[in-house]
Amino acid sequence: MPIDKDTMIDAIDVNKEYRRAGAIIRALVDINLTIKSGDFVIIQGPTGCGKSTMLNVLSGLDLPDSGKIIFDGENIARAKEDRLAKIRRQKVGMVFQDFNLVKTLTAVENVESMLWPTVLRNKEIENRAIAALRDVNMLERKDHFPVEMSGGEKQRVALARAIVGKPRVVFGDEVSGNLDPDSEREILELLTKINKDYETTMIIVTHRETVAKYGNKIVQMDNGRIVSVK
Amino acid sequence: MAFRLWKKAIKMTMREKKTFVVFTGIYTILIFLTSFFIETTLSGSDGGLTTYFIGIFFITSLILSLLYAWILVARNRRTWATLKCIGFTNRDVNSLITGIILYTTFMGFLIVIEGLLHYAAIVTYLQSANIAMGLPVILVSLLPVVVTFFVFLFVQLIAILLANRKILKVRPMLALKRVGE
Repeated sequence: MPIDKDTMIDAIDVNKEYRRAGAIIRALVDINLTIKSGDFVIIQGPTGCGKSTMLNVLSGLDLPDSGKIIFDGENIARAKEDRLAKIRRQKVGMVFQDFNLVKTLTAVENVESMLWPTVLRNKEIENRAIAALRDVNMLERKDHFPVEMSGGEKQRVALARAIVGKPRVVFGDEVSGNLDPDSEREILELLTKINKDYETTMIIVTHRETVAKYGNKIVQMDNGRIVSVK
Repeated sequence: MAFRLWKKAIKMTMREKKTFVVFTGIYTILIFLTSFFIETTLSGSDGGLTTYFIGIFFITSLILSLLYAWILVARNRRTWATLKCIGFTNRDVNSLITGIILYTTFMGFLIVIEGLLHYAAIVTYLQSANIAMGLPVILVSLLPVVVTFFVFLFVQLIAILLANRKILKVRPMLALKRVGE
């Protein structure tokens, strides 16, 4: 089947099972999903419905048991670990619920860390990190350590780290899960702005209903299956 | 690229003050004692007892280095998983850890060499002022320090191998788990 050039990710007949305490858990069942370049996708569903597994598989953090994941034209379902790491470095940005900033690095160093394993010059890395921090309105806190920041500020730095490599896709796992309503709105508005300004595809996993309004494609999951795509 | 990662590893090591100070301190003591006993053995001033002590220090440094490598990986699993998530390969993470382990050891050596030079300077000054005439000017000569350096380097390589193996088992997905989960 030919892949549309606007297609960013195409999941075809994807299945994933886990074995836990002797029982087999079907985390993803016959998943078929097409995400276009520039989409803002919200994956929703109750706890344990498979949405985190979906994020892991779509982002190349985990491999499906069967099926294909065509990521920017390349099937990553059977890719080797180093290849997946390279794809994540070049094409993916990740934002986590717990921010996951390195506590021994300042805000700007945390953002730069994404580009350390690249061939870019140090000055270019610094310039890009500063630009990314400016995009998330955190430039004035660039020399602060994570311990000196609020949850919302940490998440903005994490977002800067996610976009500093100019990724094609940003994946977010419950990005507002640990934030107060104001910070949540701020982060989601920033994601929307990045999505519009840079046409970065956004794939956000959440269980919060309030997040849905920011997406242009809402994927509802239950029991490892996609029950609706709006 | 590996050089950049080593430089960043040094920065990260210096900011983990407690772990860095404790391990550098212990390495310094072990390096000095090993050098001192090698010096004693080479000068032939003591019998088989010094060889026994050298063996003890070697094993202690080996255990300590393995412990340090284990702590580095185990205590920072979330950090390594996050770095893998954002695109670091196993080799990139290993470069960081190698940098941290080697830097801590080199700092121990620098402190020992610095200490021995200061000792020689002070004793020379005191002897020129006719004080402390009984103390030797050189406490440990260069050869035992160089031998100890290579022994410790060998021990650190074993620790690095252990850390590298453990890093392979840190899955990037760990970064997505909630804190405390």
